[in-house]
Amino acid sequence: MSNVIAGIAVAALLIVIACMTIQRHRTKRLLRRLDEMLDAGIRGDFRATDYDESQLSRLEAKLEQFLDSSAISARNVSEEHNRMKTLISDISHQTKTPIANLVLYSELLSDANLSEEQRSNVEAIRTQAEKLRFLIDSLVKLSRLENGILSLSPEQRPLQSMLEQIHASYKKKTEAKGLDFVVNPTDISARMDEKWTTEAISNIVDNAIKYTESGSVRIDVQPYELFTRIDISDTGIGIPEAEQAQVFGRFYRSARNKHTEGVGIGLFLAREIISQEGGYIKLSSGETGTTFSVFLPRGEILQN
Amino acid sequence: MEILQTTDLVKTYGEGDTCVHALRGVNFTVDKGEFVAIVGTSGSGKSTLLHMLGGLDNPTSGTVTIDGKELGNMKDEERTIFRRRKIGFVFQSFNLVPVLSVYENIVLPVELDGGKVDASYVEEIIHTLGLDEKVNAYPNQLSGGQQQRVAIARALAAAPAIILADEPTGNLDSKTSQDVLGLLKVIGERFGQTIVMITHNEEIAQMADRIIRIEDGQIA
Repeated sequence: MSNVIAGIAVAALLIVIACMTIQRHRTKRLLRRLDEMLDAGIRGDFRATDYDESQLSRLEAKLEQFLDSSAISARNVSEEHNRMKTLISDISHQTKTPIANLVLYSELLSDANLSEEQRSNVEAIRTQAEKLRFLIDSLVKLSRLENGILSLSPEQRPLQSMLEQIHASYKKKTEAKGLDFVVNPTDISARMDEKWTTEAISNIVDNAIKYTESGSVRIDVQPYELFTRIDISDTGIGIPEAEQAQVFGRFYRSARNKHTEGVGIGLFLAREIISQEGGYIKLSSGETGTTFSVFLPRGEILQN
Repeated sequence: MEILQTTDLVKTYGEGDTCVHALRGVNFTVDKGEFVAIVGTSGSGKSTLLHMLGGLDNPTSGTVTIDGKELGNMKDEERTIFRRRKIGFVFQSFNLVPVLSVYENIVLPVELDGGKVDASYVEEIIHTLGLDEKVNAYPNQLSGGQQQRVAIARALAAAPAIILADEPTGNLDSKTSQDVLGLLKVIGERFGQTIVMITHNEEIAQMADRIIRIEDGQIA
């Protein structure tokens, strides 16, 4: 009798072990299949293979559904992107002529015989039209950069010719304010898109001139191991520490500068350009004078 | 989106009259993709704070939450694995393994985790950090700046939720410091990486998007 019971117990134990082994094997196979499914999903070539009443088959259907809906949202994003591209190019093209006309006619008007008050009104119209032109130009450039409609093509270039060009275009403006504008000669090069870097540095120089009443604006270049450093220093009003992080903000205008014309987009655009080139801008400022340091990659590091 | 949050974080060493209050109730949050510098003089509690943030030490009271998980609620093993997957560390002393090559050092945390190394991602990190020609070199063949770049690459390899950097340029001269920090900043932006850096150096701190000052165990 006891032999029979022992026999049954052993048989039961064997069955349990067999069941557990089979179950373990199945779980393992299921997990392996799930891993393969996810890998295929990541690669983008997942197709359901089993069509039955099993849980695996239902999971396959669900994953297919999920991947399909992701594909649809990706397509929607791309369509949205194209619409934005069209809108930006429309704004860019269609506003050019009216703004150019505004500037032209206000210039013609200022040649006429006007009273003091009329002259000042005409001057205000011209200044605002110029501001509008700068604003639209900057916003168009910015959205093209941010939305990847336009990408920069950095290459290793010497800095001297670019800095000379910036010096030439701002010489008059600094002279008019009685400021010294010094560009220290350099034979150092950096990896950059020259046209866009010119734009970024010009915006910083323009800003420096705007907020400096006396003294100088200067540009110095120094090589580092990984980056080339371009310092744009002024002897202007300085930027308090609390404001330093904000000056790169979109449309940020300091409460201290309300009387100076500006839109608050130049530095934001400059930072966007430099960071697309794999560089960064650092700012240091005391009670008098501010230095914007532009760091551009020297070699192939930080390239996409 | 918040990636890191501390609530009333307190750390006291010792008891009674001789006890030292290293942290006296620290509250702050860090958003995803932010580069934050925590600045304080030595003895201000900033290193204690970093140890709490990294789950290397337990607070006396208060909580640290990273990516929605509270560190204090985890068992030791869970916390070790969480740390390996979610937190990248960059130390002042680089902490590279001397007998492993640059490449082996970089993929070490991923391999420890039993994960498959995403070769193209690692290659991108190596290329971006300008380490292509150094992958087969050993740490003692590299300059300090290069070693720290390897440490940054290692911290990035596991694509962690947050990188904690403890005086990352403490052993580097000022020009190299600027270079390494610049790289950390640029790469942080490129990979959308959240970075919390501890430093006593004001100039280094200026590289961050936001500065948190800590004095006498409290946020100043």
